[in-house]
Amino acid sequence: MPDGDGQSGNEIEIEAVGKVFGQGDTAFHALSGIDLTIRTGEFFTLLGPSGCGKTTLLRVIAGFEHPTSGRLRIKGQDVVGQAPNQRLVNTVFQNYALFPHMTVAQNIGFGLKMLGRPRAEIAATTDEMMHLVKMEAMAARKPSELSGGQQQRVALARALAPRPRVLLLDEPLSALDLKLRKEMQTELKRLQVETGITFVFVTHDQEEALTMSDRLAVMNQGRILQLGSPHEIYHAPTERFVADFIGETNFLTLNVIAVQGRGADLALPGGRTIAARVAEGLTPAVGTTVSAVIRPEQARIVPQGTGELSATVEGAVFFGTDTHIHLRLSDGQPFTVRRQNNDDLADPAKGETVGLSLTPGALQVLRG
Amino acid sequence: MASREFNVRALPGFGAVAIFTLVMLYLPIIILVIFSFNESQSQSAWGGFSLKWYVAAFNNSQVIDVSVRSLWLALVAAGIATVLATLAALATTRVGRFPGQTMIYALINQPLMVPEIVTGIALLIFVAFLKVQTGYAGMGYMVAAHTAFCIPFAYLPIRARLETMDLTLERAAADLYATPVQAFTYVTLPLLVPGIVAGFMLGFVVSLDTVVITEFVKSAGQDTLPTYMLGQLRRSVTPEMNAIATLFLALSLVVVSLFFLITRKRG
Ligand SMILES: Nc1ncnc2c1ncn2[C@@H]1O[C@H](COP(=O)(O)OP(=O)(O)OP(=O)(O)O)[C@@H](O)[C@H]1O
Ligand SMILES: [Mg+2]
Repeated sequence: MPDGDGQSGNEIEIEAVGKVFGQGDTAFHALSGIDLTIRTGEFFTLLGPSGCGKTTLLRVIAGFEHPTSGRLRIKGQDVVGQAPNQRLVNTVFQNYALFPHMTVAQNIGFGLKMLGRPRAEIAATTDEMMHLVKMEAMAARKPSELSGGQQQRVALARALAPRPRVLLLDEPLSALDLKLRKEMQTELKRLQVETGITFVFVTHDQEEALTMSDRLAVMNQGRILQLGSPHEIYHAPTERFVADFIGETNFLTLNVIAVQGRGADLALPGGRTIAARVAEGLTPAVGTTVSAVIRPEQARIVPQGTGELSATVEGAVFFGTDTHIHLRLSDGQPFTVRRQNNDDLADPAKGETVGLSLTPGALQVLRG
Repeated sequence: MASREFNVRALPGFGAVAIFTLVMLYLPIIILVIFSFNESQSQSAWGGFSLKWYVAAFNNSQVIDVSVRSLWLALVAAGIATVLATLAALATTRVGRFPGQTMIYALINQPLMVPEIVTGIALLIFVAFLKVQTGYAGMGYMVAAHTAFCIPFAYLPIRARLETMDLTLERAAADLYATPVQAFTYVTLPLLVPGIVAGFMLGFVVSLDTVVITEFVKSAGQDTLPTYMLGQLRRSVTPEMNAIATLFLALSLVVVSLFFLITRKRG
């Protein structure tokens, strides 16, 4: 029940939230020092490997787990200690959790019924929701008579029907096959835009996170490593884990020659120098080695002797829309270039020596 | 060698064992039923078809008395036991761990392990003491004893059902603004019905069946059908007993079929 105060401001404020399971020697820190602000009306994604604490964080927001430490506010109101049924937050569960003894319509109307809404309103909203997720024809079916994708849509409609301020979605698409998954991704995004409800979406699929989110947080081992727009996370990762987890990356170990402002000059194998961006909060010292990343599509193969780098071709793998060319730099470090197959280019021959031209400003120095 | 799927039918002697088992299980019952329709009083020689033993049973006011007592006692005892067992099952599966939980679980199930005769004698002594102290000698003792005896039987299927139930369903209910009471009423309870029905049926049958508990607890004139029949059999065996037993068999078949239909519909 959004009170209609527009699309601005902060919906959920999480401050220094920690969650410890067990005690003493067996204590396990599922969440540590989570600081996070989710804005009203945004599509926010939590991305991370299995067991990193995504579900735990959602459960803390929904009220199924009490944080061991820290504060949690929804629309400015402290909700620590509030029971799940008192929070204007609905969840689409990882396994859907549809009520097996109720029909599709009864499932969708359940929240409104519990809120004590009049029968006519429940019926009207249920119809509207079934229309929204294209399930009108199946109102009288039981969940056991639905396919996985249909169950998923009912779970979504059930969570949307009470018009919550926030919808929490725990890997809602992970059980679907690729084609249905793509369809549902589009559908989810459409529903989010149409309803204006704040979505907090959990996934361990990096492509899904990049394509759907307004902003995302990358988590590992109970911590948030980086928070930003898909563009920032992809092009300006601050940590090795983030760079590695999202997409394919080339890691290079390079020497710092000079540091100026938010950038640094690094020495490339073969003697040339290149300007690189430096991750926030990091000031590399001149003369030390740092770890830097560049995406495979940010380098081009050029004739031998041109470009910033020289490399030997080790092989090529065809991926349909593009080809990955595996190379070795003159100092032995591996490097991969992704080349779009829009021209009828011949793959470079194995053992051939080529030049590499790097997109200016693409190289990023990582923390740690 | 590609191993073929294990097939019990392929074992030597499968058919013979199966037939032998079925015969041992059902032949005595079939004979009992057949001789309930016997014209003659013999349990071994067929004297022609007759319903006279059924007529005799229905005209025997004692038989009607004890049957009615058996039925209402079983209904009441199983009913109370089911309510208590449901509460116990909820407490042992939904309340989170509390000190002494394992102990309580063992205490609830223990009566299943204790020989019935021990329970019977314990009840005899205890009830005799209460009768002397209070002067009350009514059916209350029988109801209490049967209820207590039924609880572990009713508890088992209810607990099993609660344990296999998906906990996220109750969480989903809470997430959709159901209070704990509403979540129980609209989600847990409807899903628990098959377990509760099974628990009630088990309790009902156990109460209907027990000779030992009744024998040791009853006062004069509180015979149930099993203790009455046992008393009669000591004197003379007439096919009237066959007729009564057959009627109870029919009743239990109806109960079991009903149970089957209810649980299957709930699926
Ligand atoms: N009730 C609990 N008691 C103890 N440890 C728990 C409990 N719940 C979760 N954990 C642990 O906390 C960690 C984070 O769990 P969580 O379910 O949040 O992971 P996740 O990121 O959602 O993983 P997945 O992608 O596999 O769903 C895991 O290591 C898990 O074992
Ligand atoms: Mg999870």
